Amino acid sequence: METYLIPVEDICAYHHVEINFIHSLEDFGLIQTTIKKQSVFLPVDELTKLEQYLRLANDLQINLEGIHAVSHLLNQLQNMQQQITVLQNELNYYRQLNHQP
Amino acid sequence: MDYIDYYKILDLKKDATTEDIKKAYRKLARKHHPDLNPNNEEANKKFQQINEANEVLSDPEKRKKYDKYGKDWQHADQLDAQQQQQRQYQSQGQSYGGSSYSGGFGGEDFSDFFSSMFGGGGRSSRNSPFKGQDYSAELQLNLLDAYTTHKQTLTVNGKQVRITIPAGVENGQKIKLPGYGAPGVNNGPPGDLYIKFNISDHPKFKRKGNDIYIQEEIDLYTAILGGEKIVETLNGKVKLKVPEGTQPDTTLRLKGKGFPVYKKENQFGDLYIKWQVKIPTNLNAEQKELFEKLSKS
Repeated sequence: METYLIPVEDICAYHHVEINFIHSLEDFGLIQTTIKKQSVFLPVDELTKLEQYLRLANDLQINLEGIHAVSHLLNQLQNMQQQITVLQNELNYYRQLNHQP
Repeated sequence: MDYIDYYKILDLKKDATTEDIKKAYRKLARKHHPDLNPNNEEANKKFQQINEANEVLSDPEKRKKYDKYGKDWQHADQLDAQQQQQRQYQSQGQSYGGSSYSGGFGGEDFSDFFSSMFGGGGRSSRNSPFKGQDYSAELQLNLLDAYTTHKQTLTVNGKQVRITIPAGVENGQKIKLPGYGAPGVNNGPPGDLYIKFNISDHPKFKRKGNDIYIQEEIDLYTAILGGEKIVETLNGKVKLKVPEGTQPDTTLRLKGKGFPVYKKENQFGDLYIKWQVKIPTNLNAEQKELFEKLSKS
């Protein structure tokens, strides 16, 4: 499947952010950019993540180390929420079994 | 809308300094920021209130108006002008016959200011971009709906949204559709749409993760002598061989005949079939005799 790429320059102009910030996020392994014909692009799938990091930095003055920690904890939270859903469904299965004649 | 006490929202006293307001806002924003509280409507609402309070109290002009007029602070200039006019009339000794202020500026709510910042109109004077409000919706599916990837149209806040529901979606699972929420303010990004799937139970097929469990009846003779049984699965009927001497509650596994694995093409769980042996009842005399013979043999 084709991945849409957005020029990082455009993102920086739109969000009024320095390109160094994007590079730093990449250094921390928080986003992944792609280089094509000597220009840096961001895959469209990464945009939501990037915008979330920008909000954390701008709204809450969280530095890169903090964003890294927050991102890690949010991933853990999301995984746990998924696990809870799966376990709830499994519990529901056993409850149904117990109620069968 | 009821009067909202911005000082109370930020847990501040009326004489709070600019620095106190900044500190209180940051403290509460860190706690209730939507990015730190995913899928938490309560936190989202609280964050918007905190933002609204901060917008007003951190701006000395707005704060002054708010302190003086409270609920109607946004119309402070009009109120001031009206009062000044009234004073002029009185000082000139003229009878005031104009329309007096009745507190009814079109019945606008105090918190329109807030809605203008988060996806509503454009009355806010602040130019910083804000992400639009996130929307949440629930979608009811039955087990067979969740078995195949299909498209469905939802109406969210009056707008039609066509979504693709991938096969294998779990009961209670939430998916995020970025950009389908309320529009952003001041060129801010639009909010997201969260859809929660509620999958109802099926009377026959019981789902556990990606595996499906069913119970099938076989008669006593097939269980003893062996035979064949046609069983309905989620993707059609299959003919199964029942081995001779099959015991009640024996479970059979059909690999790859279960539920599709979410977002993994051509991967399926297994189907488990539990044989339930049906014991014949209301035997006639001849049948009873045959069973007795069998029991003694």
